[in-house]
Amino acid sequence: MRVGVFDYGAGNLHSLIKTLARDGATVEIESDPSAAARADVLVLPGVGAFGHAASRLAPGLADMRSAIADGLPCLGICLGMQLLFDSSDEGDGDGLGIFPGRVKRLEGGRVPQIGWNTIEDGADPLLDAAPLETAYYANSYVCHPDDLSSVHAWSTHGTTRFPALVRAGRTVGVQFHPEKSSALGVEFVRAFLREAAR
Amino acid sequence: MLSRRVVVCLDVQGGRVVKGEQFIRLRDVGDPVELASRYEEEGADEIVFLDISATAEERSTLLDVARRTAERLFIPLTLGGGIRTADDVSLALRAGADKVSLNSAAVDRPTVLEESAARFGSQCVVASIDAKRDGDGWRVYTRGGRTRTELDAVEWARACVAHGAGEILLTSIDRDGSRAGYDLELTSAVVAAVDVPVVASGGAGSADDVREVLESGGADAALVAGMLHDGSTTVRAIKELLRSSGLRVRAVA
Repeated sequence: MRVGVFDYGAGNLHSLIKTLARDGATVEIESDPSAAARADVLVLPGVGAFGHAASRLAPGLADMRSAIADGLPCLGICLGMQLLFDSSDEGDGDGLGIFPGRVKRLEGGRVPQIGWNTIEDGADPLLDAAPLETAYYANSYVCHPDDLSSVHAWSTHGTTRFPALVRAGRTVGVQFHPEKSSALGVEFVRAFLREAAR
Repeated sequence: MLSRRVVVCLDVQGGRVVKGEQFIRLRDVGDPVELASRYEEEGADEIVFLDISATAEERSTLLDVARRTAERLFIPLTLGGGIRTADDVSLALRAGADKVSLNSAAVDRPTVLEESAARFGSQCVVASIDAKRDGDGWRVYTRGGRTRTELDAVEWARACVAHGAGEILLTSIDRDGSRAGYDLELTSAVVAAVDVPVVASGGAGSADDVREVLESGGADAALVAGMLHDGSTTVRAIKELLRSSGLRVRAVA
């Protein structure tokens, strides 16, 4: 199985690559979004700013969007989850719009939110496989989906409840960093890959 | 809700973890990759590697250590020591750091915080502040506590956040290495002044000191080092005490 990681040039991919490469999957780091979308599984990693990432995504936006619509399994992590939405207060540019809605600044506690937060009301097969009670977050923005039924888990920061996990078919977005959430986080990613292989 | 964090700091020199006593005698404590993984297993919430030589020659050694660690560590890793520019930040992140801490460089040129936050996001830019009691307040020191500046520590913390820092790593020079407990007054003053997370550092001698700085000092996280390396307590024991005191901590299987 070829896992395409779209690299928009911002941050640390080491732990993510190591997490993905565990079950004999081949990980391909692609700075070309169209090439990333030609893999068997697409991963949108999670470090950087929305505007910068959206500009790197723009040349392959249509290709990636149609590949996901055609059933390409996709995992978006943190900023990668936010790129699955229409747009963001953080910066200009278009997201993939898989989930209708906008990304807005997190309010109601110390921002950025940095640290381990509780996963609430989780109802997703990936959380059955990897029962994460807490997960690691490092974010200043959160997703506001138009359709709340796409939210399969929540977390609360200060006074704000926000989506921790969204799903539309084989597309999953997580606001936390599973690759930084210790053993169960690694298990979460492996569960996603097993699901994608089916 | 967010858990309070126990952050383990490892001083790295020449590719090894060392423990210094007032920078005089350095004792070899072990291999950074091994130690970081062991602390993850014990329940550490984050690891910090501090390059205590902070020389150009050592930089590539530290980046190599970060690379090897990131391949085995599945909790966040912060690199600090000698990072001067946004390009240095980029190299550290590419090597495997999740966050980078800037200290003297930010004092010399605060815009390095802005440049780094604009490129990589505030969540990975940590302003490290070394503060020493001075009259009614606290003075900022740089170059590993050797150089006194004119900056007030609380004002400087506020300025760092305005420049784009997403977290403050606050070290009390007076308490560092003393095992007399964290500087609660300093910690509370900075926690009240900024709206980003504050990691308290310097002075931890027992698990109860950690509880106190989180509870009374209001810190989001506490940095611990020496008392773990010499075996006087463990991350597990610290977290058990925090949990029994009613503080929210991450459960470790």
